[in-house]
Amino acid sequence: MSSVFQRYLALANQVLSWNFLPPNLGRHYIAMFESSQNVLLKPTESWREALLDSRVMELFFTVHRKIREDSDMAQDSLQCLAQLASLHGPIFPDEGSQVDYLAHFIEGLLNTINGIEIEDSEAVGISSIISNLITVFPRNVLTAIPSELFSSFVSCLTHLTCSFGRSAALEEVLDKDDMVYMEAYDRLLESWLTLVQDDKHFHKGFFTQHAVQVFNSYIQCHLAAPDGTRNLTANGVASREEEEISELQEDDRDQFSDQLASVGMLGRIAAEHCIPLLTSLLEERVTRLHGQLQRRQQQLLASPASGSADSKVLDDLYEDIHWLILVTGYLLADDTQGETPLIPPEIMEYSIKHSSEVDINTTLQILGSPGEKASSIPGYNRTDSVIRLLSAVLRVSEVESRAIRADLTHLLSPQMGKDIVWFLKRWAKTYLLVDEKLYDQISVPFSTAFGADTEGSQWIVGYLLQKVLSNLSVCSSEQDLANDTVQLLVTLVERRERANLVIQCESWWNLAKQFASRSPPLNFLSSPVQRTLMKALVLGGFAHMDAETKQQYWTEVLQPLQQRFLRVINQENFPQMCQQEEVKQEITATLEALCGIAEATQVDNVAILFNFLMDFLTNCIGLMEVYKNTPETVNLIIEVFVEVAHKQICYLGESKAMNLYEACLTLLRVYSRNNVGRQRADAPAEEEEQYQDLLLIMELLTNLLSKEFIDFSDTDEVFRGQEPGPAANRSVSAADVVLYGVNLILPLMSQDLLKFPTLCNQYYKLITFICEIFPEKIPQLPEDLFKSLMYSLELGMTSMSSEVCQLCLEALTPLAEQCAKAQETDSPLFLATRHFLKLVFDMLVLQKHNTEMTTAAGEAFYTLVCLHQAEYSELVETLLSSQQDPVIYQRLADAFNKLTASSTPPVLDRKQKMAFLKSLEEFMANVGGLLCVK
Amino acid sequence: MSDDLGFETGDAGASATLPMQRSALRKNGFVVPKGRPCKIVERSASKTGQHGHAKVHLVGLDIYTGKKYEDICLSTHNMDVPSIKRNDFQLIGIQDGYLSLLQDSGEVREDLRLPEGDLGKEVEQKYGGGEEILITVLSATTGDAAAAIKAMAK
Repeated sequence: MSSVFQRYLALANQVLSWNFLPPNLGRHYIAMFESSQNVLLKPTESWREALLDSRVMELFFTVHRKIREDSDMAQDSLQCLAQLASLHGPIFPDEGSQVDYLAHFIEGLLNTINGIEIEDSEAVGISSIISNLITVFPRNVLTAIPSELFSSFVSCLTHLTCSFGRSAALEEVLDKDDMVYMEAYDRLLESWLTLVQDDKHFHKGFFTQHAVQVFNSYIQCHLAAPDGTRNLTANGVASREEEEISELQEDDRDQFSDQLASVGMLGRIAAEHCIPLLTSLLEERVTRLHGQLQRRQQQLLASPASGSADSKVLDDLYEDIHWLILVTGYLLADDTQGETPLIPPEIMEYSIKHSSEVDINTTLQILGSPGEKASSIPGYNRTDSVIRLLSAVLRVSEVESRAIRADLTHLLSPQMGKDIVWFLKRWAKTYLLVDEKLYDQISVPFSTAFGADTEGSQWIVGYLLQKVLSNLSVCSSEQDLANDTVQLLVTLVERRERANLVIQCESWWNLAKQFASRSPPLNFLSSPVQRTLMKALVLGGFAHMDAETKQQYWTEVLQPLQQRFLRVINQENFPQMCQQEEVKQEITATLEALCGIAEATQVDNVAILFNFLMDFLTNCIGLMEVYKNTPETVNLIIEVFVEVAHKQICYLGESKAMNLYEACLTLLRVYSRNNVGRQRADAPAEEEEQYQDLLLIMELLTNLLSKEFIDFSDTDEVFRGQEPGPAANRSVSAADVVLYGVNLILPLMSQDLLKFPTLCNQYYKLITFICEIFPEKIPQLPEDLFKSLMYSLELGMTSMSSEVCQLCLEALTPLAEQCAKAQETDSPLFLATRHFLKLVFDMLVLQKHNTEMTTAAGEAFYTLVCLHQAEYSELVETLLSSQQDPVIYQRLADAFNKLTASSTPPVLDRKQKMAFLKSLEEFMANVGGLLCVK
Repeated sequence: MSDDLGFETGDAGASATLPMQRSALRKNGFVVPKGRPCKIVERSASKTGQHGHAKVHLVGLDIYTGKKYEDICLSTHNMDVPSIKRNDFQLIGIQDGYLSLLQDSGEVREDLRLPEGDLGKEVEQKYGGGEEILITVLSATTGDAAAAIKAMAK
């Protein structure tokens, strides 16, 4: 009996998950809908009677109440309810009926879940019901239901969120495989974000108390006892085994970014509560951390040999601070990419609201004395709370810096170090030198403490720089920490206003000098970190300085690089000693620095940087020769070229671009001379090394080609006055370099190498670009090259990913057009396109293919049909004559007739092509799949 | 890197090894654990617990014997990095499993073994087929090994 019922539920679930699509939707859309996982219920009007009958929804609620203890059936019945919760569209005749439906549904839902203990298997289903209701029903409908009902609904949501959050934390402690509560919790937190983001429909403060509860419970779950319940199970605190965490594991701030964003948003809504809470929790832990570290230091002084005592107390503190800083970061600022992040309006409002009670001087004092306890400053309670929260993080940072100075680095947590610089970066991007023009109203404490031209901002910049230096002095062995640290440095100099303050700090100049001299500890940093450091130093050089200072700055930063490099490579016996480890390290450091310089390129510094780098590029080619047997160095040299081309080519005018093309061509020649016929001992490593070389060269070529479609240069505008005279005698063009490069690469490519996905994509991207940009050069290729290019295209169309297939199809159109233009009916390209006609024909008519490709395939197909009309008719004839079923024969024949009806005779003309593509869509909908060999 | 570390002197007056922080070691680089130069074929990092310090796990292959070497240690730990030199020599003969290589000075050296495995077979095959090939020789403090072949530039 129950199995019959289960079938019934599954069936109901299927019907409620139907996609109701308008009848005339193109195949493309159908495919899109078919692929989407979550179908929302949007039936047609004819379903009105069936679904709006309140007994239907009641039936499903009743059913669920009866079977909820059977976890399999409960999932189906909850899924049915979730589908009903997503009901929308023409089925509702007016807003009133939608309000009634929603009210009724919420009533049913509350009756079902209030007062019961939720089963594990119900959590995800219930959270989807709520999430669907909040996503699908418009705000004005939500607020139109009886206000008491709406309040109960929000209270229920609050209760469920907190309770799922606690259960999710428990799942983590027990290390369960199936994290159902975590999934449910994620979904509810996301619903909160949707609900509160558009809050003008609700009266002010409506959500505050709820936000406080959810926020508190999140904090509680993440703090250790006694304040929190982290690692707490029914049997007391679980002793967690310290597990091995791989470097590939995502950092919490990324892994839980969605949760943190929701919690941060709720924290803003309840800023009055949450900001002081975070402040006091952090301040209290700073004091404890300080005390702990001091005690440890004394122990170490008393008996240096005493091994590491139990680290549990420290680890608990670190974990608390870790989560507090993450939440604070998400609460105070947004992470935006590309645009200037703004101070969240809730935070600004909160600070303004209290600014009359605030004593500015004490606030500045709290901010400016991170070494002291906040509560030791007289009048500390009359300070701006937002600034006090920032200063609480600075206090953590100060304890860390002092511990580093006291040689206690081994006791510190690198994770907490990362959290601190991550926070400071996020904060600095939004608040430091706040631009008053961007806000209607600005908080006086903010503009006094971190506005432009204030002592406060100058002090903070100095402090942050010190922090960076302190970290870099010890973190060469902690790569992630070093990386986050240099990212903070880049943030400080990437905007001119901030950079202006940075370069006034003596410590910045010291950093520059120290880095240029390649002395410890900076030279121990890993290469990506050194690269970013170089980038920051170059960016800083474009801050506002008088001519003399600027001159001095470049003398400190860039000149040593050049001098050291020239000194090394101009030594008489350089070729003999080039393999010595010190020499190699020197060369590697220079090459990394060059990449960093290229990365710092901006439109207003490209002139200086390009000229500086060009001098090096010539020397680098010489290095290619010297280090021809050292693959890692060769890779790095090519990478320098890749970076320069990537960052600078789009700004270069004709003559400068030519210089770069020539340099690249020479590089490729040298590479080719040294690598043809090469074979190394250890096969797998060899393939990987070669793979790296090839990938870089393809990137280089693609970057050079990009000039053809992204070009910001204004005929050497940025170089004006530097080197007059147009390049009348163009010696090298992008096409020459790229085709030379392709000549070089093609023989080295093998089907095995194409198994590396990145390499494969890059390769096809490159050849498609070439076909699109220089189709006229293709017939001029040497015969074997031409053949392998055509073979590559065929391979790409028939046995690679759909992305590659699409690229190949895109390459065919310009090739066929080229043939039509040339009007040679016996050229190899002409013959090749005939072969491609058959391939595309088969693909469209006979094979199952990704519908997203129909457009690219259609365009290629039409152009090929125009070129080879007779062959096309032949293909159609052959296909038709092989059909034995007369019905199918007729259907096909009609379809083919209709397909070409709008374009007879087919000519290369845009209008006809569009008409053909439209017919093709109909053709595919009509007979596509009919002949598919499954 | 302190200057008072006395380096052994190699043939060209080069320091034989250089201490390097473990975190700076890269895949495909070389190290000398326990006196044997190894090529690093695998490198990964991890930490013990959320607040632990970084550790680096290395797998290396002895460049002469192919023997595997493996260990895991804190990333602040120093390891010796050898000076590895690479030179191309023309192959002029194979005798009793040893290669005859023509050096730049015009002298012939005959002390290098024909490498084992596919590379060795390839060398024999190409040499037997009359191709003119260059052999890339890796030299470290403790000896030389043939590591790659390459066609002669015409």
